[in-house]
Amino acid sequence: MTKGVQNVSQVQIKVDNLNLWYGEKQALKNISMQIPKNSVTALIGPSGCGKSTFLRCLNRMNDLVKNCRIEGKISIEEKDIYGPDVDVVDLRKKVGMVFQKPNPFPMSIFDNVAYGPRIHGADRKDLDSIVEQALRSAAIWEETSDRLKSPALSLSGGQQQRLCIARTLAVKPRTILFDEPTSALDPISTARIEDLIMDLKKDYTIVIVTHNMQQAARISDYTGFFLMGKLIEFGQTRQIFQNPQEQSTEDYITGRFG
Amino acid sequence: MGLSSKTSEKIAFSLLILATLIVAGFVLIILGYIILNGYGAINLEFITQMPNRMMTEGGIYPAIVGTIYLIIGSMSVALPIGVMAAIYLNEYAGESRTTWLIEMAINNLAGTPSVVFGLFGLALFVKYFGFGPSILSASLTLALLILPVIIRSTEEALITVPKEYRESSLALGVSKWQTIRHVVLPAAIPGIITGSVLSIGRVAGETAPILFTGAAYFLPRLPDSVYSQFMALPYHLFVLATAGTNIAKTRPIQYGTALVLLIIVLSLNLVAVLIRRHYRNKLKI
Repeated sequence: MTKGVQNVSQVQIKVDNLNLWYGEKQALKNISMQIPKNSVTALIGPSGCGKSTFLRCLNRMNDLVKNCRIEGKISIEEKDIYGPDVDVVDLRKKVGMVFQKPNPFPMSIFDNVAYGPRIHGADRKDLDSIVEQALRSAAIWEETSDRLKSPALSLSGGQQQRLCIARTLAVKPRTILFDEPTSALDPISTARIEDLIMDLKKDYTIVIVTHNMQQAARISDYTGFFLMGKLIEFGQTRQIFQNPQEQSTEDYITGRFG
Repeated sequence: MGLSSKTSEKIAFSLLILATLIVAGFVLIILGYIILNGYGAINLEFITQMPNRMMTEGGIYPAIVGTIYLIIGSMSVALPIGVMAAIYLNEYAGESRTTWLIEMAINNLAGTPSVVFGLFGLALFVKYFGFGPSILSASLTLALLILPVIIRSTEEALITVPKEYRESSLALGVSKWQTIRHVVLPAAIPGIITGSVLSIGRVAGETAPILFTGAAYFLPRLPDSVYSQFMALPYHLFVLATAGTNIAKTRPIQYGTALVLLIIVLSLNLVAVLIRRHYRNKLKI
């Protein structure tokens, strides 16, 4: 059964009966869901529930894990991303990812953002404007425009994370995956990233894994609740938080466990 | 009753500092001894002239040039091969019995006595490939000798590059090789340079591997091709000190030669430290 979002105008990501094993251990069980385009979808659940593992299926980062085996089907923009003719490198251009810990490269601010476009063959004369546009979209242009040549690692943690978002935007993905992007940040930096994510959904489809239920409630349109490798419930955020259909969802969001 | 923690702390501290002082002391004594005995021999003529009068007078210019050729020759073979092998082993090979065997072989190669490399070079490069006793044969032999050092230090440098760099590069739709080329290798360069410098020190200082592969007892001219024999500082020193025409008389030349060798190695180390610092500053804050 595909869990719940009704009347979705356009589906960006469609998952059918996804199962994943790490060696003998099954980490994802029979997951089916449809993630709508130009929305923010939050994945919540206790540690080890499989939400990050699921996220890493969407840009095939799990390919890097040894003994990881996947069954089922994931389509993004109606294309089976585990199909035989899929170029993983090309997939990851279209499906960007921002990680838990801010992880800029040990290069200048400019070079960090220009890194992707440069390798993907952007024209040298266009780089300045690509970088500026990405930094503006990631709401960090004002703070960095006068110091583009300084090392990225001289920025604060929150700034580094916005730089990482800019670095992802510069490659012009259509979907962006966020893996607990604020869990290493202070409340003010967190608020800025949350504003940014809500702003980005105009142009991108966003899937965010978060530990923080308030964050899911604040910024997402849809929420999926994971527990022990299963997708227990998926629907509009308001409905999940105000009127959950499953007992374990209610227990989790009311803080009875997790 | 055991010692009180304060007493044992004092004893441990004293022993540790004593060990450090012994090491530092010997380094200073060796350096001081060579400098004191050698600096008198060093002048412009000594480093720019050919040896003279059965090597009892004149300079050591051809030996300096020979050693520099050996460094250039062996490094230009061993550095690219070693770095590429390390990249393959660390980034691509994965864990398998074959990889394990290769790693074991490299470790054993690192422990092989250098005179064995010399005999091997004689058999393979001098005889079998017919390069004769030459700069080429000696450089290739030395390259084999330092290959494990370069592979090992490059692998260690690659391992210390954080996994996050690789992941975030791959997540940008950058291929594995491009990731290695543009993110992993630049971050590993300081470590690779450190390994290379250690190797340069060995190339400049080793005698046994060049003994059978091309070093000349006495050759009052510069090598004119890679197939020429050559003089080299460590072998020249060995010859003067053991088989020279007048060992006592050439004592100052021996110390002078040792000092020149030391200066070459130390200044290469210095250059490497500067390059490493440059890269560190560029990479970090």
